[in-house]
Amino acid sequence: MEKIRVSKLVTTFGFGAAAWVVTAVIALSWGAVNDPSFEVIRQVRLPRAILASAIGVGLSVAGAALQALFANPLCEPYTLGISSGAGLGAVLGISFGFQWMVAGLTGTAFLGAIVFSVVLYLISLKAKGGNTTLLLAGVMLGFLGSSLVTLWISLSDSNGVQNAMNWLFGDLSRARLGGSLFTVAGVLSLTALLWGEWRNLDGLLMGEEGAAALGVDVRQVRRKVIVLVSLLIGLCVSAGGMIGFIGLVVPHFSRRMIGSLHLRLIPLCAIWGAATLTLADCLARVVVRPYELPVGVVTALIGAPVFLWIMLKRQERES
Amino acid sequence: METSFLQVCGISYAWGSRSEDDAKNRKIALDEVSFELAKGEIVVLLGPNGSGKSTLMKVISGILPLVRADGASGSMRYLGQNLTSIPQLRRAQLIAYIGSDLRAQFPMSAEDTVFLGRTCQKFGFLRRVSEEDIRTVKWAMELCFCWDLRERNLETLSGGERQLVALACGLAQGARILLLDETLSKMDINHQAAVGKVLKGLARDGYTILLVSHDLNVASEWAERAILLKSGRKVAEGSIHEMVSEEKLRLLYPNTGVVIGRNPVTGAPKVFFDR
Repeated sequence: MEKIRVSKLVTTFGFGAAAWVVTAVIALSWGAVNDPSFEVIRQVRLPRAILASAIGVGLSVAGAALQALFANPLCEPYTLGISSGAGLGAVLGISFGFQWMVAGLTGTAFLGAIVFSVVLYLISLKAKGGNTTLLLAGVMLGFLGSSLVTLWISLSDSNGVQNAMNWLFGDLSRARLGGSLFTVAGVLSLTALLWGEWRNLDGLLMGEEGAAALGVDVRQVRRKVIVLVSLLIGLCVSAGGMIGFIGLVVPHFSRRMIGSLHLRLIPLCAIWGAATLTLADCLARVVVRPYELPVGVVTALIGAPVFLWIMLKRQERES
Repeated sequence: METSFLQVCGISYAWGSRSEDDAKNRKIALDEVSFELAKGEIVVLLGPNGSGKSTLMKVISGILPLVRADGASGSMRYLGQNLTSIPQLRRAQLIAYIGSDLRAQFPMSAEDTVFLGRTCQKFGFLRRVSEEDIRTVKWAMELCFCWDLRERNLETLSGGERQLVALACGLAQGARILLLDETLSKMDINHQAAVGKVLKGLARDGYTILLVSHDLNVASEWAERAILLKSGRKVAEGSIHEMVSEEKLRLLYPNTGVVIGRNPVTGAPKVFFDR
């Protein structure tokens, strides 16, 4: 690892931090009302900007970790269906009476996320080397989870379909200051724990055998990463629903800026993740004023083409 | 021979089905292979495709764990210490396995790749990067003629250049036993010769090197001893001059007639096809 140049630090981390500050200022000053009172900013926009930043960090870092875990740049919480698992867990949790500020709800979302992650992991063991199989399995799990969410909410709720949409495409409008800060604390501590695994995550980039040759206890690291990532996704989804493609786009461009070693990649993903989702949420609020788009629609509009682009580029390289 | 440095006793390993009755889906890769390596020697494993050379190397390095339930058995000792009871992290500090190709799914500079070799080394707070890490990476890359490639993306390197980087990555681990699995196969003759000299130098400094090469002439130039494997069994072992002979090679490759000559300068045995 070369001694990283100051100019590069400024252009990556500095630019990212600046981008986040700018998007945060936009998010606070732009919205449904043109001339907002201080109360509107404090009670509506501030919690929302904080929550968007926290979820952006969480999903981006989870995406980077999943990509290392499965050695595939197309993996992320949404495309692998783990977000749907968390969403399903969260929805079931709510309907059985857990409130979202209580850690209990995050608990059921975590359970959903970890069940789906473990299923995926078992599939990845079966489908040796078959990365496409893994992704297809993830997409199918995602459909399954999303359909079950829609079904369950429609059966149990008079505004069923509308509420289901909020879960399926992400919805940050329920943000409250206390809850947002709780999410921030959780996301930051889990991010720190994943960052601490940077040497092992680096080893996983060389594939299973390569990692073992480098001295990584692959099984143990995989177990640890799956638990941490599931906690992170559970937390993000229970706070904001299923928001796709942030975990794909942010790590991809962060890698291009600073390389693939996780010592630098994870913090950079965190900064750019916060900036990206804050901006996306801001767009979601104002594009069709006075209505609101679910934030997941905005991220998918940007993320899905990027997914296709990465996939095509990979195939080009392999042929 | 000096004191036994690395001792491999009766290694067996089977791929596929765990049941011994299910012969169709079961391939015995290694069958009671035993040998010893002394400190500072270069030994080559020779054998046809599928004779278990790579499997043997992966077993020694710990990539393939010797789990008895999977039909694996045997033991390995490093300076009298049981290797299988050493955790993988510590084992990677002792033994570096270097494959024939290095592929990462993500964009990586050559230097970052070599840096991965330091994964197994001990760390301070937050496993931070130490001066020693940086020094070792530079040393390994200069030794393997790839320091100039350090900022290049791994994908843009040729096969031979990637092998130089792979070798540097293995050296950066700090291990004193190097297992080279076809690591010289794509290098041009220039680099093969230069890397061979580097390996000789490392052996003089006390490194023990076990290599696999299908190119008998490369192997015979650098190795002092050879171990012959066929269908997972050791068929012969001895000095390179004894082993690279028409009689012994017929054991390994019965359908190919070969003639043995000598390198006029170094005297190493060279293999030629007969008509």
